[in-house]
Amino acid sequence: MKRATSDHWLARYLFIGILVAFVVCFLIFPVCVVLFEALRGGVALYFSALTARHSVSAIRLTLLVALAVVPMNTLFGICAAWAITHFKFRGKALLISLIEIPLWVSPVIGGLLFALIFGRQGWLGPWLDDHGIQIMFAYPAIVLATAFVTFPFVARGLIPLMQSQGSAEEEAALTLGANGWQLFRRVTFPKIKWGILYGMILCNARAMGEFGAVSVVAGSVDDRITMPLQVEQYYLNFNLPQAFALASVLLLLSAVTLAIKIGLEWRRLAPNIVRPQT
Amino acid sequence: MSVAVSHISKRFETHGQRAVPALRDVSLEVKTGELLALLGPSGSGKTTLLRVIAGLEIPDKGRVAFGEDDVTDKSAYERKAGFVFQAYALFQHMTVFENIAFGLRVLPRKKRPNAKAITKRVTDLLQLIQLEGYEKRLPSQLSGGQRQRVALARSLAIEPRVLLLDEPFGALDAKVRKDLRKWLRHFHDQTHLTSLFVTHDQEEAFELADRVVIFNEGRIQQIGTPAELRENPTNDFVRAFLEV
Repeated sequence: MKRATSDHWLARYLFIGILVAFVVCFLIFPVCVVLFEALRGGVALYFSALTARHSVSAIRLTLLVALAVVPMNTLFGICAAWAITHFKFRGKALLISLIEIPLWVSPVIGGLLFALIFGRQGWLGPWLDDHGIQIMFAYPAIVLATAFVTFPFVARGLIPLMQSQGSAEEEAALTLGANGWQLFRRVTFPKIKWGILYGMILCNARAMGEFGAVSVVAGSVDDRITMPLQVEQYYLNFNLPQAFALASVLLLLSAVTLAIKIGLEWRRLAPNIVRPQT
Repeated sequence: MSVAVSHISKRFETHGQRAVPALRDVSLEVKTGELLALLGPSGSGKTTLLRVIAGLEIPDKGRVAFGEDDVTDKSAYERKAGFVFQAYALFQHMTVFENIAFGLRVLPRKKRPNAKAITKRVTDLLQLIQLEGYEKRLPSQLSGGQRQRVALARSLAIEPRVLLLDEPFGALDAKVRKDLRKWLRHFHDQTHLTSLFVTHDQEEAFELADRVVIFNEGRIQQIGTPAELRENPTNDFVRAFLEV
C-alpha cells in the first residue's frame, strides 16, 4: 500500500542522491585524501613523520591538555546537572542557556578572552609578569582555552538525562538514611554513568581537535603547540608528509570517538535516548 | 511511636504566579500504633503533609515530632521514617535483595550489621512479603503488586519509627489492591507500627484505617473513626465528599 506521504520516485532519488553526493564529496573524499597522502611515501616514512620531534611534542601536549580538561569539565558537568535537576532557584533557565555559550560563540572569542585577562597587556598580565608566572603561550592558557570551548559537553547531555529520571529514587534513598555522598555513589551515579562517559568522549574529541581558541593563546613556539596547530605549522612549512601523518592521527581519534558514540547509542545508553520505565 | 504535627503551613513557589498554599495551619496527632488514613481529593495537600513528616519537604511554619523527639530541623535521612512512594521508586539497577538491603548498607560503620546479619534480615523480610526466591530479580522483572511489596520491605528494613505510605495501592488493579490491603491491615495488627497512608479512595480509607483525616484545600476538615465520620460529618464538604 502506498502511503499518502510517499513522494514521486524522482524526488526521492534526487534528494537521496544529493545527500549521498554531499557526504561523499565533503566528508568521505577529504578523509580518503588525508589517509592517502599520509601513507603515500610508505609506512616507514609515515612512522618517521609521526616520530619527528615536533610531532611527538604536539601529541604529548594534546594528551596532557585533554588529561586536564576532560576531568575538569566532567566534574563541572556533573555538578551543573545535579544543581539544575535537584534544586529550585531563580534564573535556572537562563543558567542552562548560559552554559551553552561556548557552543554558539566562535572559539577565537574564547581564546581572546584569556589573552585579554592573562596577556602582557591584559588585566592580570603585569602582575603575573612580576611574579614570574607564565600562563599565556604555555600549558595553563591552552588548558583554559580548551576548557572554555568544551565546557558544555558533559553538562548538556546529563541535564536532560537526569531531568527525565526525576528524583524519586534519590528521595527514597534519603528516607532510607543515605547521606549526600552515598546517595550519589549508590543511586545517582549508576543511573548516569553511561551519560557521563558519552559526554566525556565528546568533550575529549573536541578538546583534542580544538584549533581556534588554542591558536590565540598558544602563540607559535614550535614545541608548545597542540596537534591541530602543529598540522597547520607543518603545512605552512611545506612538510606535507608530516602534516598528513599527524592529521591522520586526529582522524583516527575521531573514528574511535564515533565508534564509541555509535556503540553507546546502539546499546541505548546514550543520554539523548530516554528509556521507558518498565 | 506517636507523630505530632503542629501548625504546619507550606506554600509552593510557582513561576511568576501567586504562591499556592498547599498546607494551611495543619495540626494532627497520630497515636502510637495507630493506622491513620489521609483522605481527600487530589491537590488537597495530603501528600505534601506526608512529605513534610518524612522530611522531604520543608514547611514554612510549624513543627513535626516523633514521640518526644522534635524532628523539624532534622533532614530526611536522620528521621528514620519509612516511606513508600506512589510509584515505588525502587532502585532500578539493583536486585530485590540490594533494594531491601540498601537502608542497612548505608548505616554508619558502627551501626552497620555484618553481611550475615544483613542477609538474615533481608531473607526475613522477603518471607514477610511472600517473595522468597525473588532476591536476584530486578524491579523491572516484577509485577506491580510485587514491586509494591518490595518497596514496603525496603522501608521496613531500617526498622522505621513510623511508616508513611503515599497512595500505596494507587497503581494496582482491583484484585491485587484488595489482597494487599488485607495484607497491610494484617501486618499492622501484628506489628502495631504507627502508620499513615494517603489515599483518595474512600472505601480504602474506611476499610483499612483506625481513624481517617479528611483533607481539602490544605486544611483538615474532620478527623474521626469511619463510623464517626459517617454519622456526624461536621461540614458540607465532608458530607458531600463522603456522599452521606
